Amino acid sequence: MSPAEIEEHQRFLRSLTAHEPAVRAYVRRLVPSRADADDVMQEVAIVLWEKFSEFQEGSEFRPWAFGIARFKVLSWLRDKGRDRLVLSEEVVDLIAEETAQDETRLERQRRALETCTQKLEPEQKQLLMQAYQPQARIQQVAAISGRSVTGFYQWLHRLRRLLADCVQRELAKEDAS
Amino acid sequence: MKLDEQIQHYLDGLATAEEVQQLQNILLTQPDSRRLFADLANLDAALAEQAAGWESPVPANSAKSLRTPISHLGLAAAAALALIITGTWWLHSSRAVHATVARGIGSRVFSEGMQIQSADYKMQAGTVEFITARGAKVVIEAPASFRFENDQRLRLERGRVAADVPPSAKGFTVVTPTGQAVDLGTQFGVDVPQHGQAEIHVFKGEVIAQSTKGGKRQSLKDGQAYSLESGAGAAREIRSAAFIQPDEMPALQAALTSGQRARSDAAMAALRRDPALITLLDFENSKLPPGTFRMTQGRWPGSHAPEFVNVGDHMKLNAGADRSWPRLTLAAWVRLDRLEALYQSLYHTDGWDDDKRGQVHWIIKKDATMRLALKRNTLLPGSSEKEGFPDSATPVLPEKGRWVHLAVTYDADAKRIRFYLNGQLDKECLQATAHPALLGPAQIGNWNSQDRKLSGRVDELILLGRTMTDDEIRALFDAGNPYR
Repeated sequence: MSPAEIEEHQRFLRSLTAHEPAVRAYVRRLVPSRADADDVMQEVAIVLWEKFSEFQEGSEFRPWAFGIARFKVLSWLRDKGRDRLVLSEEVVDLIAEETAQDETRLERQRRALETCTQKLEPEQKQLLMQAYQPQARIQQVAAISGRSVTGFYQWLHRLRRLLADCVQRELAKEDAS
Repeated sequence: MKLDEQIQHYLDGLATAEEVQQLQNILLTQPDSRRLFADLANLDAALAEQAAGWESPVPANSAKSLRTPISHLGLAAAAALALIITGTWWLHSSRAVHATVARGIGSRVFSEGMQIQSADYKMQAGTVEFITARGAKVVIEAPASFRFENDQRLRLERGRVAADVPPSAKGFTVVTPTGQAVDLGTQFGVDVPQHGQAEIHVFKGEVIAQSTKGGKRQSLKDGQAYSLESGAGAAREIRSAAFIQPDEMPALQAALTSGQRARSDAAMAALRRDPALITLLDFENSKLPPGTFRMTQGRWPGSHAPEFVNVGDHMKLNAGADRSWPRLTLAAWVRLDRLEALYQSLYHTDGWDDDKRGQVHWIIKKDATMRLALKRNTLLPGSSEKEGFPDSATPVLPEKGRWVHLAVTYDADAKRIRFYLNGQLDKECLQATAHPALLGPAQIGNWNSQDRKLSGRVDELILLGRTMTDDEIRALFDAGNPYR
């Protein structure tokens, strides 16, 4: 790479590193599973780099990246939609549109979640983190926890409900102060 | 099923075709349901994000079944992407060679050319330079324990690392117990002390720091430092000389192979027999003076030197209290980390009281010259000293932070102070009034309770009750010099 290309690459990585959680969360809202989100995200990252020269310095990286991610997701849905259980393009596009507007609130939620997971019992947190490991196998995690797979999903559901409530409380607290 | 359960069901990939259809109708017609959907999917994404940066607290062996955490696109984004783009992927094979030893100084384990695979290493003594498969130069100083997980990822449980990362290795990551540093093309250091938080120091370029808990990313640029603490990290003072850089290695190695260590030991042994010796601290004795300091490696592989890092760090010393000293030599090897402080204490007798004529303060000042102040001594009329005390002329910190030898001699009868830097006479200063030196209770690296902190390491500190000659000081430097 030439010095100018290295410079460009560095500028890109900096932007991507800063906005990657938001873009990934955005993609996650539009595809059925986390593994799908990982797949799409890799493609999105490559397209972002390929098109980075078109990206205007000074404009906002995040909306630009959302636009590209949305486009990628829709073509992914068309590709996989036939043999996978996915929501229709119509619904996905609606969610994409609405949640892009709502990103400030969603980002605050993601931040508040960090506080909330800190409050979990260590064993709870460990199981939760294991269940959310990239390529985690739920059967295995369920076995570690001594539950059936169905039992484990129920436990997971209860825990996430607790966390969702905690996030709401944290944000209400922030708004009040 | 309640709506939130229905959505979770879908997000967990458990929904049937019928259930997906049902959910779809709800989402399409009810804006509130889409908001709930967005919240839950967002929670799911945030949990995955946290999990990707999460380190299992369980000992590695028993947790292996779930594969070692991280290496999601998460913070490794920079690393991974650099590789995606250049069209390669890191090698997962445990047989892969992740790094090669370029230089091993004083280490029995690592010899030049040795190939490093993914294995746990403990280094008791010495300093080793590795070159990763992607060309990053990585110097690790003992005591250290570490593992190259792959050619772009070094796990550091303890020790000190300086990395010089070329563009081909951009994204090189150092993972510590409390967080990680991802390089964006740069020179940086990571210090994981035995006690306390890991610190990242950026000498040049840019690094992204992230604490394991709390997870906030912090971009660090030239001259910035950051501690990786539980919860949020915190800015720290940069300590560039706390790290042995790749370019310091050849001179260290040359000195060691030429037998310099034996010469140094012989010189110390001779000094111990000097009847005028007041004290000699080489810090190799298990009975260390009391104080608050970190023990680090000294000038030689496996040797020891105290390091002063935080305000209030100090070492207490009470030597030569029985009498006053008309003639005195103070000398030490010093590795200064930084210079911003107004004064740094090399050796300060306690207090600064009018009734303690001749009490000694040996200082490094902000401009990096030395000062030897004796209470109630006065300068000659018309002296060229600008600040009212005898100061040396040449800054003691060379361009790069390395070990330097500092010495000063004092003769109350001749009313003369002579400063030496690296064995060379730097400056002589005459006094109008010169009291015999008063020693006794004193501190190294600090003065009084929390003042004049020294930043760095001290090795072989000597208090001698006579004035060494120019030749003797030259010989002391020559024998103890860790560079060649």
